[in-house]
Amino acid sequence: MKRKLIHHLFRALTGLCALASCAILAGIVASIVMRGWSALNWDFFTQQIALVGASGGIFYNVIGTLILLATAFVVCTPLALGFSIVHSVYLRDSHWRGKLTLLLYLLNGVPSILFGIVGMVIFVQVLGWGKSWLAGGILLGLMILPTVSVTLIERIGSLPIKYTEAAIGLGLRKSQIIRSVILPQSIGGLITGLMLGLARAAGETAPIMFTATIFAGASIPGGIKESPVLSLPYHIFILAQDSYDPAVKAKLWGSALVLIILVLGLSLVALPARLKIHEEANHA
Amino acid sequence: MTRSALNPSCRRWSITLILSWLFTGVALAAVVGGLGLLLIESAPAWKHSGFEFVIGKKWFFRQSEFGAAPMIYGSIIVAILAMILAAPVGIGAAIFGVEYLPRKWRLGLKVTVELLAGIPSVVYGLLGILLLRNWIYEVFQDFDPLSGDTLLTAGVLLGLMILPTIMTLADDALRGVPGTLRLAARGLGLTATETALHVSVPQAFPGLLAAVLLALGRAMGETIAVFLVIGRQDNQWPSSILSLKPLLESGQTLTSKLGGSETNIAYGQPLHWGAIMGLGLVLLSLVVIITLTGAWLQRISFRQHQQHS
Repeated sequence: MKRKLIHHLFRALTGLCALASCAILAGIVASIVMRGWSALNWDFFTQQIALVGASGGIFYNVIGTLILLATAFVVCTPLALGFSIVHSVYLRDSHWRGKLTLLLYLLNGVPSILFGIVGMVIFVQVLGWGKSWLAGGILLGLMILPTVSVTLIERIGSLPIKYTEAAIGLGLRKSQIIRSVILPQSIGGLITGLMLGLARAAGETAPIMFTATIFAGASIPGGIKESPVLSLPYHIFILAQDSYDPAVKAKLWGSALVLIILVLGLSLVALPARLKIHEEANHA
Repeated sequence: MTRSALNPSCRRWSITLILSWLFTGVALAAVVGGLGLLLIESAPAWKHSGFEFVIGKKWFFRQSEFGAAPMIYGSIIVAILAMILAAPVGIGAAIFGVEYLPRKWRLGLKVTVELLAGIPSVVYGLLGILLLRNWIYEVFQDFDPLSGDTLLTAGVLLGLMILPTIMTLADDALRGVPGTLRLAARGLGLTATETALHVSVPQAFPGLLAAVLLALGRAMGETIAVFLVIGRQDNQWPSSILSLKPLLESGQTLTSKLGGSETNIAYGQPLHWGAIMGLGLVLLSLVVIITLTGAWLQRISFRQHQQHS
């Protein structure tokens, strides 16, 4: 009897932990939706920021964030592809492979603010770009490299051996195998990883606050030097520190709602596939 | 990708080979370059203060006095607090998912928790500023906090943020325990709970510890949310290192300092900028040590189970 009781008690206790985790997500999303819903309307998406955030909309903030994401996408895709192929194919049987994996883990752990201050030295000061969308995009692209690479590497790792064996049997060279077997078969891993990575990049403030984004007075960038963009996370970051005006508050919650719709939307599409790849790679 | 595919005689120069190594090289160069830059740019501060930079308790940049100890203290306290709050819940949720839930439900739980991980830190910061801060202030009114901007607020917020990391890594660790061990335990007549507590958890222990450590590293590097709720009060050093009083006072972490306005005004003065970069180097060292330890524990856990199965 006592054993049964302990069993049920422990199950209930851990179940409560699981429930609490889900409730936290529900609570956070609900509190933002409730407060931000009323701010969402056509004008909010199509107008510029006005009156230091108390009026107007977030048009250029959304555009700026999309520009940063597109740049990060362009920067990260070749790096992640190259890195994953070298890791999983060219260095497959080398002791360097484990070191590259560890490097990805470490890079993933690097605090995002460090991307910001190192990027500030390189792009803003040494290259003399000032604040530039390109600097922000490059930094975000590097920051999400581990997320994208790990997903791609796990996907390549779980490809059935018979695919490559068949390709070898046909007399294909290694580069041909990569191009016509490995890449087409693992492209889903790349896309999944990129979506998750971009979801993370979309919400990051620290890497871009010193390098790429300003609060007001920027629209579509015309060049590279001195071409900052507005962005959603930085907008929220600045307004949050000055959130006593009720008009600002309403817009603030509205911006937060738009940001989490963007981020959770990307994650929600990619997460189930990501978890499946992860399970196949690690617990087959 | 069998060994024959890697036979050196098959290796020829090709666009694919050149491009993939080129881009790998670019990525590696960026990492090495960034690290090198931190080292070089922080040199003036190390020359000026030496080891005093790490243990010094005073930071007054106008007097060229740079001591990072209060910020290191803030970073560690806040991260540990977050860990204490998040580890039991995260590991509990992972145990529930792996040991009691059917596979479909477990994946559902994992998706939900990882969605939580996707919420941007600036949104956590916003919730912290507009909700949690006031709540902490009211709950702890008996202790007369000066404001709701405290180390405790930052710790609680960080706890929420690293909960998904702990849960998802603990889930991986528990899933790594071979199913045969569980079946054997159940076959001996143990209940699911006894199996979890006496077989799965001890078996997965290094992995669970790794989960906690990797989350600790995450917590230490988090900037924006902490920045918004910690009060950014310089030179807060506790009377006793074990005292709980500082928890209800404002403070500063390495990250909140780096994210602040001082970073903008410091550039151009080599010593001051060196000190800022020095803070970055200290932060990186802490995080790297924690992450390396975590990765090492994960490897132990993994190897152990490969032998079993």
